[in-house]
Amino acid sequence: MISQNALHHAEKCRFCWMCRHLCPVQHQTGKEINTPRAKGLLLSMVNKGEQSFDKDMAQAMYECLLCDACTNDCATGYQPPLFIREARTEAVVNELAPEAVMTLIDNVLSTGNLYGVEKPSFGQDGTDVLVYIGEVAAVKVPEMAKNLLAVLKKAGVSAKVLDKEPASGVMLGDLMGYTEEVRQQAVACAEAINAAGLPVVVLDSYDAEIMKQKYPEWGCEIKTDVVTATAYVAGLLEQGKLEAKAARGVKGACHDDDRLARTFHEFAPIRAMAKAAGYEACEMFNHEKLARSCGTAVAYGYMPQIVEKIAASRWEDLERVDCAAMLVANPQAYLCLSGKIPEGCALVDLFGALV
Amino acid sequence: MKHILVCIKAVPAAASVQVDGQYRLKRDGVNLQWNIADESALEAAFRLKDKDGTVTVLTMGPPKLEAPLKDLLARGADRGVLVTDRLLAGADTRATAATLKAAAEKLGPVDLILCGRRAIDGETGQVPGELAAALGIPCVSNVERIQREGDSLLLSRRLEDGIQLLQTRTPALVSVCEYSYPLRLAGILGMRRARTMQVTLWSGADLGMAPEECGLKGSLTKVIAMESKFPGLRKGPKETRAEQGIAVVREMLREVRP
Repeated sequence: MISQNALHHAEKCRFCWMCRHLCPVQHQTGKEINTPRAKGLLLSMVNKGEQSFDKDMAQAMYECLLCDACTNDCATGYQPPLFIREARTEAVVNELAPEAVMTLIDNVLSTGNLYGVEKPSFGQDGTDVLVYIGEVAAVKVPEMAKNLLAVLKKAGVSAKVLDKEPASGVMLGDLMGYTEEVRQQAVACAEAINAAGLPVVVLDSYDAEIMKQKYPEWGCEIKTDVVTATAYVAGLLEQGKLEAKAARGVKGACHDDDRLARTFHEFAPIRAMAKAAGYEACEMFNHEKLARSCGTAVAYGYMPQIVEKIAASRWEDLERVDCAAMLVANPQAYLCLSGKIPEGCALVDLFGALV
Repeated sequence: MKHILVCIKAVPAAASVQVDGQYRLKRDGVNLQWNIADESALEAAFRLKDKDGTVTVLTMGPPKLEAPLKDLLARGADRGVLVTDRLLAGADTRATAATLKAAAEKLGPVDLILCGRRAIDGETGQVPGELAAALGIPCVSNVERIQREGDSLLLSRRLEDGIQLLQTRTPALVSVCEYSYPLRLAGILGMRRARTMQVTLWSGADLGMAPEECGLKGSLTKVIAMESKFPGLRKGPKETRAEQGIAVVREMLREVRP
């Protein structure tokens, strides 16, 4: 059912249960099945013929953010998202995936984005860099995209945005695992980016991850440099192309989004941006590689109530350290955290704070 | 191309391979993966076949390869054949080529046979040439690009110091370089289709081979000793300035190729 490699990851657990303490979905649902280890155990039983892969099991495989917190602290060094992704493929192949998931998949396949709408145009045709906005920023958090473009303009960077920006494949990959349909999206996206011939600044670290890690493996490498928007803007600050703001007298904590933190190990740029935006530095208990996820756009699409609870727990992390501002530079994090902002707290788009 | 046959090998995925007392690769208990160059051969086949053409994948190995072969069916292969028989164990390149020849003949006429140029475990690169010789068809090795031109093929072949362009008639055997055609993934529809398909299982007897032609008995060569050699670490000064670094690399290259 799943590949030998994924099964290897599912079966080599030492039962230390550390992942139970780290999984944000398990924290909020309290269900044992929502520990990465339990998901592995189920797939192992399916492989041995002791259990059938049914709708309930498929549902369990979708109750995961693919945030990689479990991988980060796995005592045996195994990667639960690897087999969870493959189990999602199995769910889709066998038509067992939850209905809400299938709706999102249909949206991505028909329109190239989760929301089933046409992406707005940003009307930018610059010559220095190509900014890859991504579907979440384009449709749900357009202010963050506009703020990034404004920051670049302020620094004298001439930015281009593709008129019909193709999907990177990351959303489809999270919804149904890495299949040929995902690779086809990646190929089309890489072709469009390569045709522009400019270095790429990627706003959403989820898009950056698939571009940098999967595209080369799939034979559709982007031929120019691919950098995260946070790293690029931090570079502009370092070069003195952007001026720091005056101190605001507000304590702010940076939220490290899952893939920026655990895939790219990129922590300094967002903090440099926070400092330049005038915030007094503060850290939540779970930060950098240990950052707790606040949800993803994909999961928000099919299990909004659980994601709202997860985001609320991230706000609690902020309040615990007596901070007033949650500083984010990722559109998916912004989307999830904006659902319910506690009184007295502020959700800050760091690109906007630098304009 | 109406019928393309792709010969593909499962190799140990482990970073360090192990051998048994007879210097045969241990395949039990290790994760197997398809040889990377063979994957390129399969992707090339998908691109070369006619719309109504057929791509057959053929492999030799243990019965546990049935599931991985189904994955190749999900990626677009039309037929999967697994030649599996304990008598075939320990085959050298000649005995392997003899088995593949028998299977290819049983499959009927093919327009093209594609293989990887070498496997990452044995690294001999001999099977493609031996198979072509056994079948009496032309063989072009180390190919990076394949184009159809009428009834023939235009091939771009990697040499140590350049690229050679060749044209060959078909049927022919072409061995393909690793990474030249990254293999597509399995799509959802392909996976659904593959679940309705069966992998063909053949034994040595099914191929009409006598036991003395198979495996160790049918091999002309035998490994009688083996040793590990770990190349020494290359030592050189650490340079942080680009120009000095380039000069050091030039000097090191001069030692390798004066």
